[in-house]
Amino acid sequence: MARNRIYQEEEFPSPLVQLWHNFRQNKVVMFGFGSFVFLFLLAIFSPILTPYSSIQNNLDHLLVPPAWDVNGDVSFLLGTDNLGRDMLSRLMHGASLTFGLSFVVVIISMLLGVIIGSLSALTTGIKSVFLNHFLDVILSIPSLLLAIVIVAILGTGLGNTLWAIVLVLIPQFIHITKNAVKEEFSKDYVLASRLDGAGSFRILSYSIFPNIIEKIIRQATLAQSAAILDIAALGFLGLGAPIPLPEWGAMLSNGLDLFYIAPWTVYLPGLAILFSVVATNLVGEGMRHALKQSKES
Amino acid sequence: MLIFTLRRINLLLITVLLLTLVSFSLNFLFPGDPLVNMSGRINPTPDQLLILSDQYQHNANYFIQYWTYLQHIFKGELGVSMASHLPISSEIINLLPATIELSMTALIIAMCLGIPIGFIAAISHKKITDNIILTIAMLGYSIPVFWLALLAILVFSIQLNWLPSAGQISLLYEIKHVTGIQFIDIMLSESEYKWQAFQNASSHILLPACVVALAPGALFIRLARTAMMDVLETSYIRAAKAKGLSFLQIIYRHAIRNALINVIRHVGLQFANLITLAMVTEVIFNWPGIGRWLIESIYQRDYTAIQAGLLVLSSFIFIVHILTDFIYAALNPLARDTKHGA
Amino acid sequence: MMKINVLNQVINKSQLILSLLTTVLLIGCDSGNSTSLSAKSIIYCSEGSPASFNPQTITSGTSIDATSNQLYDRLLSFNPGDDDIKPALAKSWHVTRDGKMITFYLRKNVEFHQTKYFTPTRTFNADDVLFSFNRILDQNHEFHSIAGVQYPFFESVNFSSLVNEIEKINDYTVRFKLNNSDSSFLSNLASDYSVIISSEYGKQLSQSNKRENIDLLPIGTGPFKLKEYRAGSFIRYYPHEKYWREKAQIEQLIFDITPNNTSRLTKLLTGGCDVLAYPIAHKQIKKYPNLTLDTVTSLNVGYLGFNTKKPPFDNKLVRTAVAYAINRKAIIETIYSGQADIAKSLLPKSSWAYDDTASEQIYSIETARILLHEAGYPNGFTMNIWAMPVRRAYNPDALTMAKLIQADLLKIGIQVKIVSGYEWEVFLNMVRLGEHESVLLGWSADHPDPDNFLTPILSCDSAGKGSNNTQWCHKGFDKLLQDALQSNNINQRKKYYAQALAIVAEEIPLLPIAHSKRYQARSTKVKGKLLNAFGGIDFRQVSKK
Repeated sequence: MARNRIYQEEEFPSPLVQLWHNFRQNKVVMFGFGSFVFLFLLAIFSPILTPYSSIQNNLDHLLVPPAWDVNGDVSFLLGTDNLGRDMLSRLMHGASLTFGLSFVVVIISMLLGVIIGSLSALTTGIKSVFLNHFLDVILSIPSLLLAIVIVAILGTGLGNTLWAIVLVLIPQFIHITKNAVKEEFSKDYVLASRLDGAGSFRILSYSIFPNIIEKIIRQATLAQSAAILDIAALGFLGLGAPIPLPEWGAMLSNGLDLFYIAPWTVYLPGLAILFSVVATNLVGEGMRHALKQSKES
Repeated sequence: MLIFTLRRINLLLITVLLLTLVSFSLNFLFPGDPLVNMSGRINPTPDQLLILSDQYQHNANYFIQYWTYLQHIFKGELGVSMASHLPISSEIINLLPATIELSMTALIIAMCLGIPIGFIAAISHKKITDNIILTIAMLGYSIPVFWLALLAILVFSIQLNWLPSAGQISLLYEIKHVTGIQFIDIMLSESEYKWQAFQNASSHILLPACVVALAPGALFIRLARTAMMDVLETSYIRAAKAKGLSFLQIIYRHAIRNALINVIRHVGLQFANLITLAMVTEVIFNWPGIGRWLIESIYQRDYTAIQAGLLVLSSFIFIVHILTDFIYAALNPLARDTKHGA
Repeated sequence: MMKINVLNQVINKSQLILSLLTTVLLIGCDSGNSTSLSAKSIIYCSEGSPASFNPQTITSGTSIDATSNQLYDRLLSFNPGDDDIKPALAKSWHVTRDGKMITFYLRKNVEFHQTKYFTPTRTFNADDVLFSFNRILDQNHEFHSIAGVQYPFFESVNFSSLVNEIEKINDYTVRFKLNNSDSSFLSNLASDYSVIISSEYGKQLSQSNKRENIDLLPIGTGPFKLKEYRAGSFIRYYPHEKYWREKAQIEQLIFDITPNNTSRLTKLLTGGCDVLAYPIAHKQIKKYPNLTLDTVTSLNVGYLGFNTKKPPFDNKLVRTAVAYAINRKAIIETIYSGQADIAKSLLPKSSWAYDDTASEQIYSIETARILLHEAGYPNGFTMNIWAMPVRRAYNPDALTMAKLIQADLLKIGIQVKIVSGYEWEVFLNMVRLGEHESVLLGWSADHPDPDNFLTPILSCDSAGKGSNNTQWCHKGFDKLLQDALQSNNINQRKKYYAQALAIVAEEIPLLPIAHSKRYQARSTKVKGKLLNAFGGIDFRQVSKK
């Protein structure tokens, strides 16, 4: 049945839908988004998908080169490491550790950061000044250094590393949320609903959040690429994931001593980290672009 | 400008004070006795412990303890390292210059390459050059620095044998430690091999500095590109065009200066990032700087070194931050009146 | 006047800088002189920082390498060929028939180092011998416990209860009076730890109240003297111009401290160093025509030590179960690339006390399960393994070995947590304090006497403070070692050691894993012998083409 239009209707897509619409335009960005989704699915389903165990030693197949090498073996597509563990399986499992956990870390710090940020946007006076300074101080400390210090307090280990990175990321979210909320609060439509008698929290949840959510998501992608690099760096320095977990950074440092005899144990985890960071950055980039376009339109 | 200066100095003081507060509380958060963590004297005898507790006013309330801690810091007493038993202040004086040397060289490389490339990308907007530059920039700041360092060593040291793989200078050259900045020390030294030492030191710094410079350089490309594009859209550029100036003249006379100012504003922010990269790079290139020392302190559970290193390194970053603020303000009078953080 | 001088210097320097800057701009490359500098120097890429510059106070091989043969001499030394004891600072010696009195006749005109911090006024004499050993023996000696130092090697061989007195007969004759005869005494005096330090330097330090410098700024009679040490970075030695033997043939010796295995190898491949400690990737090194890989038969053993003071390893059944569950053959194949012998006992084949008939620990998961059940842990437990952080001949990759053991023990339900990441000296210290539950470590012999294997690793005296990190103390075992030491009959001693090793095999305070060769890589330009079957590296006779 054909739909009759009685009135000249103009559709107003919600900000997110509009964003998605703009986002889809760029092919490179969509490739990044596809890779991101791929990594995300891999992170969830890797335990089912891996051809071998990523942890168990297989002493009959030590240091098998990747399949394309002359000495390679097709059953170990990306070769094996010095304990005969299949690199492909380890990289897949690593996706859920490095990439998956960075995602979780970002979600947690985003939630906490947005809550604290919006609350602090509503406060004024000396408390706010103090918070401002405190944030400035925290943000001036290099994130990796801060994470290292927190790990030194909590002790090494994967869980502690994650908490450390959560703590490092929170101030960034507080900062961006606070500024965004303040900016929105000064706009007329907020004044309008305030005149309608809405309380601060109502305005926050109904009027402001839908308008700043893109900014927060954009910050989340930045935070995620930083989180991936930090988890990997801590793993590389031996402060993160415990042995034998195949966290990419830890895998890379494990491969370090094999650099000369089995270079693939160094190349592959590095490539995996690079790939996931590029995918994340492409999504963020697309988001930024789309945001700019929605503003311009 | 006076008010601006006062405001920045005020900010610096408050920040350093907050940083000391952070490092002071770290002593209580780290495992072990806070007094031992603060002083670095491990396994003290009861007598030594008494002396220490007197020195640090350990039995007074937290405020007085903090105050004594501050006094110790301003006297330059950061305790002794739990691992090497040397005074931490002397270790930091030995190591910080090497980090400054590396990070400043990297910063210069990043700026000298990143900013012009970014301008080129902006001027050739929507063209293939722009896309290629943007892609390289994206790869540049996505690449994990420790991996990049390894690849750089593999290619430039092992396969091509162009550059040395580790250290600040070949240990053959005996350079006396005066300022800690290797190049200055070489100049001051009276070795007959001065000139070779100089060459040797430059070949040693090139690879790590480039590795550190890549990610900030990539970000400078983006910042410079955005800044230039913003400038090109302003009305004074359009006015200049209307006057009939050629495109190159516009770029040289007006655009570069104004875009540059906007980029410099971000240098301070980038510096923290750069130091993080330098820390990891120092580990891989065996660079005798404060970053490697800090990371080794973690392996050695040297809490005194960790808290002191954190304090010094963050203060250093903040000072650079404020300095770039000054440079920015000096170049751009408009910036002097805006409040910080607004 | 002074001020003008300083000013002049400053002006001179700035002129110099200016002229240099112009040369930098004008001249491209010229590296003619630097080759001559490198031809006169040897850079050794070592694996860690020394804990002290005095070998009396340490046991780690890293510190031995950096000190003993370079900075010091001993009264006696070993003949590299046949392991016989030969004269060094002592020209000759005489042992009484009961073995309780040993008289040393000292060499004359042996000079101590002259450095920035000390200028000797006299040559080596009996006072230095007394000073060196009384420092260890006498609890009240002013240098005995400065900065909390200990003497782990001497404690482990029970030196202070063995030596009754050291007597100065005249300036060049000293006599050691022992409480009982000890067949390894001369070997211990010839080992890397028994160095001679300067008593005159000691006096100077004690006057200026800087006694702790005796272990930090060393003065010895050795072929090299310390020029500069930057902790964690490098050690620079200059040759000792008045060395009593043939002088060193190089103008400087540099220890480039590079803990990371790969960076160390990279330095060798790129010409950053001439000699490399504990190389990885042997096959790769052999591919380079300008590098050689030295192999030295080394008296050593790598083992997994259990902390017998901590549960569950205070239970013999648990230790036995773990020993049964570890597949040592796979470890030899994986970690040592098959280039090592499975350890039957603590003693390697090349030791004269090696017992071919002793039974070997076998690998059987089934037996391990049964034993674990008997011990009351049917479902296993959680334990930790401390994996040593440096590469050693006896254990080139403890971390990977720990991973293999982790997988092996999982089969009988034991969860293993691997502890790594400590710096080497910190690691040794924490293990000495008994922080571990089990530890992968090893021992390189300091001299060929089998006592040097058993006493330091397992005797009661070295438990806790020395190098016995199993904390195991067995009176019967100690008695056998004592008996063996008091006998001079080699067959009798052999029997005692066989019995002692049987006790170890029964009680399993540790599981011996492998005996391996010591490897070292160097540039073909470096000539001369560097390594012996035991003891640290020696640069005395090394030259460079």
